[in-house]
Amino acid sequence: MIKKAPPVSISCRDLTLRFPVYGVDAKSLKKSLAAVTVGGRLGTHAHVTEVTALNHVNLELKPGDRLGLVGHNGSGKTTLLRALSGAYEPDEGAIEVQGRIAALLDLSLGIDPSATGLDNIRLRGRIAGLSSREIEARMDEIASFTGLGPFLAMPVKTYSAGMQARLAFAAATAVEADVLLMDEWIAVGDSDFQKLAHKRLLKLVERAGILVLASHDTDLLRLYCNKVMRLEGGVASAVTDIRKLDELMAA
Amino acid sequence: METATHMLRTGRRGTLFEFHMALRDLRASGDRLGLAWSLASHDVVSRYRGSILGPFWITLSMGLMVLGIGVVYAKIFAIPINEFLPLIALGIVFFGTISGMINEGCETFVHAAKMLSQTSLPMFTFVWRTVLRNLINLMHHLVIVVAVLVIYGYWRTADVPMFLIGAVFLVLNASWISMLAGIASARFRDIPQVVTSVMQFAMFVTPVFWPVNRLGKHVVLAANPFYHMLEAVRAPLMGGHVASSSYVVLTLMALIGWGVTFSIFAVTRRRIVHYL
Repeated sequence: MIKKAPPVSISCRDLTLRFPVYGVDAKSLKKSLAAVTVGGRLGTHAHVTEVTALNHVNLELKPGDRLGLVGHNGSGKTTLLRALSGAYEPDEGAIEVQGRIAALLDLSLGIDPSATGLDNIRLRGRIAGLSSREIEARMDEIASFTGLGPFLAMPVKTYSAGMQARLAFAAATAVEADVLLMDEWIAVGDSDFQKLAHKRLLKLVERAGILVLASHDTDLLRLYCNKVMRLEGGVASAVTDIRKLDELMAA
Repeated sequence: METATHMLRTGRRGTLFEFHMALRDLRASGDRLGLAWSLASHDVVSRYRGSILGPFWITLSMGLMVLGIGVVYAKIFAIPINEFLPLIALGIVFFGTISGMINEGCETFVHAAKMLSQTSLPMFTFVWRTVLRNLINLMHHLVIVVAVLVIYGYWRTADVPMFLIGAVFLVLNASWISMLAGIASARFRDIPQVVTSVMQFAMFVTPVFWPVNRLGKHVVLAANPFYHMLEAVRAPLMGGHVASSSYVVLTLMALIGWGVTFSIFAVTRRRIVHYL
């Protein structure tokens, strides 16, 4: 009955992503209309500056791969993660991902401060692709994990920053994914909660076939990853073994 | 959902491929209509959180407007109130839905910027969110419609099946305009103001506040898309007939409108997330 699913995999072939920068000027309709009426003489307005965020990136990952992404600020780590989450269409090349993707890039995604904790868990779950029934089935587990107890029935805006982080973390990690994308290892809350959060993330990583983690923390990468790739101005190095991290960083 | 999913994103591979991908987006949004519904109902609930009447506040203010305009203008136009009040009650409620879908359409993609830039959710999901949100609001305002139809006895002659057909035509047409406004507003930040002005203008040239027969066969009616949309839902409820020409216009408008909108979407789809 259930079709044999193809194995979990990530494949980027010659992935190039350019961000057009629509200047403040370009967003005004008047400028566009003006450009039409003057027959395109104001060529600078029609021309859109582009930033190449990823430049011919090649990447093949199979189940069991835990890839660490390193690189300076603005080197394209987050862009690559977002592209892998399916938000961006490449300008050239292709991205192919087999398996359910969970992108833990922004914990505050879909959090509505005026709604209650419970409602926020539901909403976040829906965005992550769970059905209402699946969310209700997991609700007790998520609620007890947050440790917020009766506060879950109160609006999130009444929470302290730490409590909000707990809620967001619990809701965001209540997914089941084959491909886990993370921008920095998310460690939130007080020290007790951090331990719990850590365990939960590890479990999630274990269940997921593939992890892609962008981080500046080399110790962390050594701990969780078995492969590493360095991005420099949108250009990717080859995927190498994590044991060669130092050589890669020095290169 | 235990099935493994497959995601493929590629560079441009020609126009046909762009249309194919746009169609995939549409189909994916159909599979996840529940999500659009959840987002829409969350929008309504969160907008009126803590208020006692909730969306009925708008219903109430609409009701007051209906009453005020109905009583005063019935005198000015010298039309019996039992003819005039139901006319503008239905006019205000249904035109409110049309203009709500279109005006809020401007924010469809702009408001979803965060979600669009880090998930693979279909873009059409957010179009349906706007449409469904306005339909939820309409459900509340139907109180006015039912009340007026009952009080003035129109319920005996109301043709509900034709009304429902008209409602389908209304949604089919308002939704493409809504989506088009959404795409245009993402790219050009002037569009929302333009749309608001146009909709305000449209409200006065559409027989929302005045009886159709006062104008006779005027170009303002025949060439006004909102007139046909409004008539398709209002006339059946008031025991009238919708001219078959109106259905022709509505059908053509839906086909051409969706054709154009879908084409623009297919071409700009990969760019929309960068506009935001």
